[in-house]
Amino acid sequence: MINVKGLKKSFGKNEVLTGIDIDIAQGEVVVVIGPSGSGKSTFLRCLNLLEQPTGGEIYFEDELITARKYDIDSARRKMGMVFQHFNLFPHKTVLQNLTIAPIKVKKTDTASAQKIALDLLQTVGLADKKDAYPNQLSGGQKQRIAIARALAMQPHVMLFDEPTSALDPEMVGEVLEVMKKLAQQGMTMVIVTHEMGFAREVGDRIIFMDGGRIVEQGTPEQVFGSPSNARTQDFLSKVL
Amino acid sequence: MKVLKPWLGCLISILMLFFMIVPAMASAEGSGKTIVVGLSADFAPYEFHKNIDGQDQIVGSDVEIAKRIAADMGAQLQIQDIPFDSLLPALSSGRIDMIISGMTPTEDRRKNVDFSESYYISRQVIMTRAEDKDKYASFDSLKGITIGVQKGSIQEGIAKDIEGAKLTSVDKISDVVLQLQSKRVDAAVMEGPVAEGQVANHSDLAITAAQIPNSDTEMAIAVKKGNTELLAQINSTLADLKKTDAVPKFIQEATALNSDEQTEPDNIFSIFWDYRHYYATGVQYTLLLSALGVLFGFVIGLIVALLRLSNLNVLRWIAMTYIEILRGTPMLVQLLIIHYGIAQTFHIEFSVLQSGIITLSINSSAYLAEIFRAGIQGVDRGQTEAARSLGMSYGMTLRHIIIPQAIKSVLPAIGNEFVVIIKESSIVSFIGVADLMFQAQAVRSITYSALYPLLIAAAIYFVMTFVLSKLLGMVERRWSVSDKR
Repeated sequence: MINVKGLKKSFGKNEVLTGIDIDIAQGEVVVVIGPSGSGKSTFLRCLNLLEQPTGGEIYFEDELITARKYDIDSARRKMGMVFQHFNLFPHKTVLQNLTIAPIKVKKTDTASAQKIALDLLQTVGLADKKDAYPNQLSGGQKQRIAIARALAMQPHVMLFDEPTSALDPEMVGEVLEVMKKLAQQGMTMVIVTHEMGFAREVGDRIIFMDGGRIVEQGTPEQVFGSPSNARTQDFLSKVL
Repeated sequence: MKVLKPWLGCLISILMLFFMIVPAMASAEGSGKTIVVGLSADFAPYEFHKNIDGQDQIVGSDVEIAKRIAADMGAQLQIQDIPFDSLLPALSSGRIDMIISGMTPTEDRRKNVDFSESYYISRQVIMTRAEDKDKYASFDSLKGITIGVQKGSIQEGIAKDIEGAKLTSVDKISDVVLQLQSKRVDAAVMEGPVAEGQVANHSDLAITAAQIPNSDTEMAIAVKKGNTELLAQINSTLADLKKTDAVPKFIQEATALNSDEQTEPDNIFSIFWDYRHYYATGVQYTLLLSALGVLFGFVIGLIVALLRLSNLNVLRWIAMTYIEILRGTPMLVQLLIIHYGIAQTFHIEFSVLQSGIITLSINSSAYLAEIFRAGIQGVDRGQTEAARSLGMSYGMTLRHIIIPQAIKSVLPAIGNEFVVIIKESSIVSFIGVADLMFQAQAVRSITYSALYPLLIAAAIYFVMTFVLSKLLGMVERRWSVSDKR
């Protein structure tokens, strides 16, 4: 579904990604872990071109989205993204946050967009908040709304950029619960996170990144159980 | 579209209103020929404001002459009250067809305009406070004293020739009178009939016996250079008037009209009540000007702000130049350039109201553009990322996500700009828009009260800005529902 070949990204002279190759299959849940500054978030943001790669190629559903003339908006419609800081639209109600993109971008009529939105709010357990404004919600509620907002576009893949890092500890669980449900439904997901327990439980494949490249990858049992690389062992010994 | 549609509808209807109402307000209605006469209506008995049956009217002997000319031409007469200084530019830029304002055909003026035969010869007199009447009884006694004159008038030129005299030039004859009464000047040079009119109304003033040599001045009607057709028409009317000796009669009648029942209202409330219609009209114009100025300024400012934030250098530079020039030059200069300069250079004529609105709009657009820019830049970058990640284009993101948040955050600043514009719109009185300031000046020149008409205007300005600030505060609180925690 997503094929990345030789992906490089530099900010000025600072090379953040030094060459990444990865293929992500439909329905796969890929969890990216690694120390801060290892390039995990940059890698994720390159997948929907929020960061413009400085080298390499990215294919999404067999289309080369890094091609110069490619209309990236059309790919982004099928790639949902969830941010560390939620980025809900503060001037819109919860319901409007969920319906604006389907209505404006996909030209869905208001009634069906609202129906989809209400179903999603039900799923994330916040149907009663549909008329609230984002600032009236707790962090965990905001992030669940943000997930629902991305899902409202009915994406083929979901990208999560440290979705629980900005949350108070007691709210982490409710967000992970929603994500777990999503994984069980067969959604293709790429998740950057520091929640090792969650990674182990939900991930089909664990990617360990360090210094702008993929150092080790495999099933959770392999990476967490018997890491082969010294840096992986070092990192896991610190966080587990 | 939900957000934009009502806005757009509003805008279009207001635009239509603008093009319908403004020309109608600015020019006389009706079909057929119109002849526009420019005069400075503060020069009794030749031309002055008079409250007749609660209506402000411009009357005087020159107005009577203008009526005759218009009648002979079969045209409708339209009178524009313009400061004396601005009459000649108004004529050469084609805003008015002729000047009948007690104007003397000097050599300098002849270079720029053509004059009719003279219709009246006035003599100049020296007016002083009654107690000084004998002190300045001879021309020689005037040496070295301070003398008040009307700015740009023929008397200013005459007074300059008095040895050692220190001149104080003011806009209006009523101001000259006030200068005398408040002892800021010792004497004033004035037209004979004008001075007689003033003395009739003010017992503390008198005309001295001093004779000014070579001071008899002709009065003639000015037309645009080369307009021989109109000039011939005017001369034939003047010849008719001369036959019946009509002009001195006009002047006598006008002098009588000016001096009758000038019971001076010395109480601020009675001035306000007597001239409430003036102020009401003024408030209407001031509010119309400010509202349209801010509305158009809002739209233009938003566009300029977007250009200013564009990735294209050219667009950014254009926007920056626009903003810097408009913010770096006085609004009065902009107003005069738009009203007189553009008319003369490009032959595009705006009515005084249109010029006023255009000036206020572009001026406030420069300030609003910078306010919008700050607002747009102040919206969190994550908002753009979230919108783009949902597949929204750059334009959609701006329109639905960034700009609504930016506008909300700058609403207090926009309201502030509206308040500023209400105050600054007072400069449009300079070109003759009948706004609140203009009306206050008109009331001053009728009542000869220096302070009260202006105090009333100040009070009205204050009420408008104060109420507006409070209203904006309420709107702001309603808008901030989404900020509630």
